[in-house]
Amino acid sequence: MRIETCYFCSSRIYPGHGIQFVRNDCKIFRFCRSKCHAAFKKKKNPRKTKWTKAYRKTAGKELAIDPSFEFEKRRHVPVKYNRELWTKTVEAMKKVEEIRQRRSNNYIMQRLRKGREVEWQRDVREVQRDISLIRSPAAGLKQRQAEEDTEMEVEPETIQVVDSKGRKQVIEAPVMVPATGEMIEDCGEVDL
Amino acid sequence: MPYKRKKYHNGDTHLKKRWRVRNRKKDLDEIDVDLKEENAEKLLNQEVNLDIPGAAQHYCLHCARYFIDEHALSEHFKTKVHKRRLKALELEPYSIEESERAAGHGNFKLATKRKIVTQNSDKQDITDRDDELLEDSSAKKKKTEENDA
Repeated sequence: MRIETCYFCSSRIYPGHGIQFVRNDCKIFRFCRSKCHAAFKKKKNPRKTKWTKAYRKTAGKELAIDPSFEFEKRRHVPVKYNRELWTKTVEAMKKVEEIRQRRSNNYIMQRLRKGREVEWQRDVREVQRDISLIRSPAAGLKQRQAEEDTEMEVEPETIQVVDSKGRKQVIEAPVMVPATGEMIEDCGEVDL
Repeated sequence: MPYKRKKYHNGDTHLKKRWRVRNRKKDLDEIDVDLKEENAEKLLNQEVNLDIPGAAQHYCLHCARYFIDEHALSEHFKTKVHKRRLKALELEPYSIEESERAAGHGNFKLATKRKIVTQNSDKQDITDRDDELLEDSSAKKKKTEENDA
C-alpha cells in the first residue's frame, strides 16, 4: 500500500480515492478529489491558489525548510528487509512526526506573534494621529495663554481693601486699557 | 394531441469527448521542455506539413501555436496573450516533484525567476531594419521621380 500525494493540493491520497491522469508524455498526475482535478483541467496554478500546500509554503505561511522534512522522501534506493531495522524505523517515524509537528506549530506561532507586534505599533500610531478626535487641540488654550500673559507681565499692582465687616482682602488692581474703539476714531480724525 | 415523438438532438457528449483530447493544449511544463535549445530549434524549423496552419512554418514557442504567415506571427508577439504567457513562464513551472516537496517530502524549494524573451527577437530587428531600408529607398525613388517631372 502506498499513500500518494495530490498533484494540486499536495494532500494524501489513500488507496481507492481520487483519480489519476496520464499525459501523453507518460507523466502521472494524481488528484485527491474532483476539486483538484477540475482545477487542473482549468490550468490553475497551484502556487497561486490559496488553499494548496504549494501556496502556503511559497507565501511563507508554513514551515518550508527544515531538516525534519528530509526523512520522508523518495530515495530510489532498494533496502533489504531487516526486521530490526523495520521496528526501529517505525519507532523513529513516530518521533520524527512529533518533532516535525512541534516545529511547524512553533513556526506559525512565531509568525503570528510578529503580526501582533505590528498591530500594536499601528494602534500607537493611530492614537497619536487621531488624538484630536478625543481631546480638542484647543482644549486649555485659554488657560495656557493666560499663564503666558502672567509670565510676560510685571507683577500686577495690588490694593488692600477693607470690608465693611473689617476683613482685609488683597485685590489685583484693574489694568487701565484704552478702549480700542476710541483709538480707531482718533486715527480716523488724523487721517482726515 | 400532437407532440414530438422523436428526439432529434442527442447532445454533444460524444463530440465533447473527442474535443477534450484533440483540443488539449500544451501545459506550461511541456512548453518549458520545448524552450530547451535543441527542442526549440526543431520546433522553429519544422518540415512543411499541409495539415497544420501555415504549413507549420510560423510557430510561437511560448504559446505553442501555429500562425498562417510571418505577419500574423509578428502581430501575435505584440498581443497581450503572448506577453501574459511570457510572464507566466518567467517562474519555473510547477511539477510533480514540487507537489511532493510541498507535502513535506523533502525541503521545499522556492521557484526561481529567469528571463524569457520572445523567440528570434534579434532577428526580428534585422527584418524591421530591412523594411525601413526598403521604405527609405522607395521614398527616395519617389522624390527623384518628382524632381524629374
